[in-house]
Amino acid sequence: MMPYFKFDYFGFDFGLVVAFIIGIGFGFALERGGFGNARILAAQFYFYNMRVLKVMFTAIVTAMLGLFYFAWIGWLDLSLVYVGDTYILPQIVGGLMLGMGFVIGGYCPGTSVVSASTGRTDGFVYLLGIFFGIFVFGEMFPLLEGFYNSTPMGRVTLPEFLGISHGMVVFLVVAMALGAFAAAEWGEKKIAKKSGRGVE
Amino acid sequence: MKEWFMKLSISKKLAMVAALLGIIALFIANPTDDNKIYVNAKEMALSTVKDQDKIEVMTLADWLIKEKSDFTLVDLRNEKEYSEYNIPTSVNIKMEDLLGSGLMRNQKIILYGNDDIAAAQAWFVLRSSNYKGVYILSGGLNEWKNQILFPKLALNATPEQTAAFEKVKQISAYFGGTPQLATAEQTTTSAASTIKPAIPAMPKLSTPAVGGKATKKKKEGC
Repeated sequence: MMPYFKFDYFGFDFGLVVAFIIGIGFGFALERGGFGNARILAAQFYFYNMRVLKVMFTAIVTAMLGLFYFAWIGWLDLSLVYVGDTYILPQIVGGLMLGMGFVIGGYCPGTSVVSASTGRTDGFVYLLGIFFGIFVFGEMFPLLEGFYNSTPMGRVTLPEFLGISHGMVVFLVVAMALGAFAAAEWGEKKIAKKSGRGVE
Repeated sequence: MKEWFMKLSISKKLAMVAALLGIIALFIANPTDDNKIYVNAKEMALSTVKDQDKIEVMTLADWLIKEKSDFTLVDLRNEKEYSEYNIPTSVNIKMEDLLGSGLMRNQKIILYGNDDIAAAQAWFVLRSSNYKGVYILSGGLNEWKNQILFPKLALNATPEQTAAFEKVKQISAYFGGTPQLATAEQTTTSAASTIKPAIPAMPKLSTPAVGGKATKKKKEGC
């Protein structure tokens, strides 16, 4: 039964080894997907390269279908899969800040590490910024703590929140993703024709 | 039909697979029934017979004095009772909230109520939901009171028993208890010995009981 760690198939130390291997694989996939390049990533926000949207939605759909069907077959205990608590207001503000950083810097935290590992200077600068931000946040935490813990909603999932079945959510997300893929392809072609800019 | 399918690009084929799986999911609705539980009856029965799932109050007292922190002590009684008195380091979780309370499946959990019954029921709920290290405080809070907070020394105690009682007195004092000593009047007059000593006051809580919920929650996620 999955998840393996929660069923104590291996201890914490071996868990770190597994995390390391998966992390290397994740970074490799990101790099091969072109996510070590800030130009490709930032292009998403100007809509002339929709690669980020396509990769993200593909990842979401793959993981979602995997979790859903594994649970249905009985390989995976969904109730053991970690779902973070929702603090709606601070998470919206945090998400907006992360998005702004993404547009300005051209990376999200994960892809900046990928970029730095391939030797890009902007990746290193971005990483420094991350650690500086972590330091400032840590130092300011007493001031921010009230907001940080405000509007707690506990563990919320879409089926619970919307009052619909898991299968319905899966269907809607798949439909949304396929729609987004089609729209992205269409949009890219249109913009490429108009501005003569390549799709990469 | 087949030719048409072969002509499609790999990403279009994958998209069709995803669409198909999405539509099937619509009919499956819910992959697991959250209220259904699976029980390995033999394994559960065996651990009960072997008394592997019980912790004696003395053992717990010893752990608390040594400040062992590899377990979570869960108080299953209601809030009012909890705020009046609870065993140090315990957290108050209601029976119906047990599964959503953030207890970890690889954690050592010790349950207690006033007696064994609530703890045994909670033990079953947790064990059947794949919690591994679930234990019952044998005798519950009543036993904790009898043995730790208000231990009694029999009137005709042997020297060995008296010596052992001295140790218990120290443990009791650590938890703010009041050991029940056989007083002189009780021994001299037979009438007095039948009068039960007044129930001593419960020790005052040093830490505010309210808001003492799951203090250290293991952080997970990215």
